[in-house]
Amino acid sequence: MDIKSSLAALNYAATRPATEPRPVPGGPAEGAAALARDFATTLAEGEATAKAALTGGADSLALVQALAETQLAVDTAVTVRDRVVEAYQEILRMPV
Amino acid sequence: MTDLVNTLTVSASGMQAQADRLRLVSENIANADTPGYRRKMTAFEEVVLGGARTGEVRSGPVQLDPTEQRRIHDPSHPLADASGHYDGSNVDLVVELADAREAQRSYEANLRMFDQARQMTRGLLDLLRR
Repeated sequence: MDIKSSLAALNYAATRPATEPRPVPGGPAEGAAALARDFATTLAEGEATAKAALTGGADSLALVQALAETQLAVDTAVTVRDRVVEAYQEILRMPV
Repeated sequence: MTDLVNTLTVSASGMQAQADRLRLVSENIANADTPGYRRKMTAFEEVVLGGARTGEVRSGPVQLDPTEQRRIHDPSHPLADASGHYDGSNVDLVVELADAREAQRSYEANLRMFDQARQMTRGLLDLLRR
């Protein structure tokens, strides 16, 4: 690998944290950010509850609740992803 | 949005509490003819986590109804005393039926709240999708 490209990669890695979302305390984005942050947790909990319910370890009420929460989390994540992809495509189209 | 998710949790806790109550009612009805049985009751209480109320509800410890048990006259019964009486249960079926119906209505109300919170969240996400 030539040294210039590795320097470029280093620079690229160094600029990436600048694009990270900064949490706004108390802002309206806080709830959505929290929801997206524990998306994976909600999903894992939903799966664990579903497994437990099928083997008789959990109540059907807990299953319904976990599935509803999982569905909301997945819906939110998918919607946000769709919007991001849409915006990206709009940029790629380069309207001048 | 977290409020709506919290609504789901609170409604689910309400449904769980009503399910507990209905279980006690069914135990009472099943034991209505058991000699010496005392009616089981539970009082609901708020859930406190780390000193703060979460808004959820749960059924408290099971208590036994201290009212007088029915004296039933049946000299042929093996538990009958010298006067031919024995202690029946203190379960009143009318009270149990009313309790069961109340649990059902309350469960339905919590179910509606659960469904409404879900629909509101979906509506919000539909707005985002447009």
